[in-house]
Amino acid sequence: MSGITGSNAGVTAHALRRELHASRAVPSVITGILVAAACILLFLEAVLKAVGDPPFLIDLDAVAAALGRLPGLVPASVLVPAGLLVFILGLVLALAAVLPGRRARFAVPNARAAVVVDSEILAATLARRARLAAGVGPEQVLVTVGRRRVEVSVRPTSGIPVDAEAVRQAVEEDLRGTVAGPFPTVQVTIAPSGVIGQ
Amino acid sequence: MNSTPRALNRILLALFGLVLMATGAAAAAAALIPEAARTWRAVSSSAAAGIRSLGVRGGEDWLWVLLALVFLLLATLMIIWLAVQGRGRTGDFIQDRGQEPGEAAGTVTITAAAAEQALKVALQDRRDLVNAAVTTWRFRGTSALRIRVYPRQGAAPARVAEEVAGLVEALDLVLGHRAPVLISISAGARARFTHADRVS
Repeated sequence: MSGITGSNAGVTAHALRRELHASRAVPSVITGILVAAACILLFLEAVLKAVGDPPFLIDLDAVAAALGRLPGLVPASVLVPAGLLVFILGLVLALAAVLPGRRARFAVPNARAAVVVDSEILAATLARRARLAAGVGPEQVLVTVGRRRVEVSVRPTSGIPVDAEAVRQAVEEDLRGTVAGPFPTVQVTIAPSGVIGQ
Repeated sequence: MNSTPRALNRILLALFGLVLMATGAAAAAAALIPEAARTWRAVSSSAAAGIRSLGVRGGEDWLWVLLALVFLLLATLMIIWLAVQGRGRTGDFIQDRGQEPGEAAGTVTITAAAAEQALKVALQDRRDLVNAAVTTWRFRGTSALRIRVYPRQGAAPARVAEEVAGLVEALDLVLGHRAPVLISISAGARARFTHADRVS
């Protein structure tokens, strides 16, 4: 490959890490819009105060005075739920910032590019593999893909037993051939009652 | 692949979250505990006294102007924060200035559309993909390609990844440049509702 410029192993790893974690753009945009709107309103009110005009929506002087007397002014039955609501709102924002924010995606090993696959797509292909291994129809297999665990539930056709271990091995082989580690563990459940085959 | 400032997002969200948590907890405590209510009133009255003494010294209008400027600055910062989310699309794929000795002076530019169209056309014919989108982003000082493919239900992601990477390698050979590439195998709404290809 002489004559081809550019080496980007570090950039690829960085792109992969960004793609597997949430950017928090949505909570940031919502928070930014609300805070900006509040600041613009307060700016307007402060300018009106400075030039001596009557207030537009809120009288800053009166609001500040009321805020100081809040515990006596508002009954506890209103102030406590309101305080808790504000607290929970803050908790949601703080958790969005602090939690790792992993997306439901997996990295796929590849020599040339950073590759990620959505869990939904992975579940569909594992379901297909489990269906072939169990010898049942597409409607008889349900696969749920989590970060730690892949759950495969099979409803066998009446009278035809399904080998859970064989299904587990097939699904695990497919999983290991597709995504990069750490691998989730594969758990196969065979429903106790069969259905009429499709 | 965009240049959303993720660390800044986390810091500001944590900051606003903590402020809201403290405010809410203080309000609830002031309503429930008499001691906390007394502290609340004491703090607010001393703050009011401090502001009043400032106002006496410089005139009250001056304080309102200062407050207005602070809010204007905050609003501007918030709008800047909003504006930097999700940016980073670029129209240039390669820009080579040819600075090496013996080369003619000048710039060679390959637009992003060239690389994007080449890959899109190559991906269009594949029967195991419902759709594909190729975009170019300015990422860590270079132009990087993001290839988003929406496979049909049941298409093996490992094989899709390998074959798309093969197309990228062919593009490398044509352009003589290895750009960073992200291949994202996504579940779009359309892929979800189309049937699995039974023949393959």
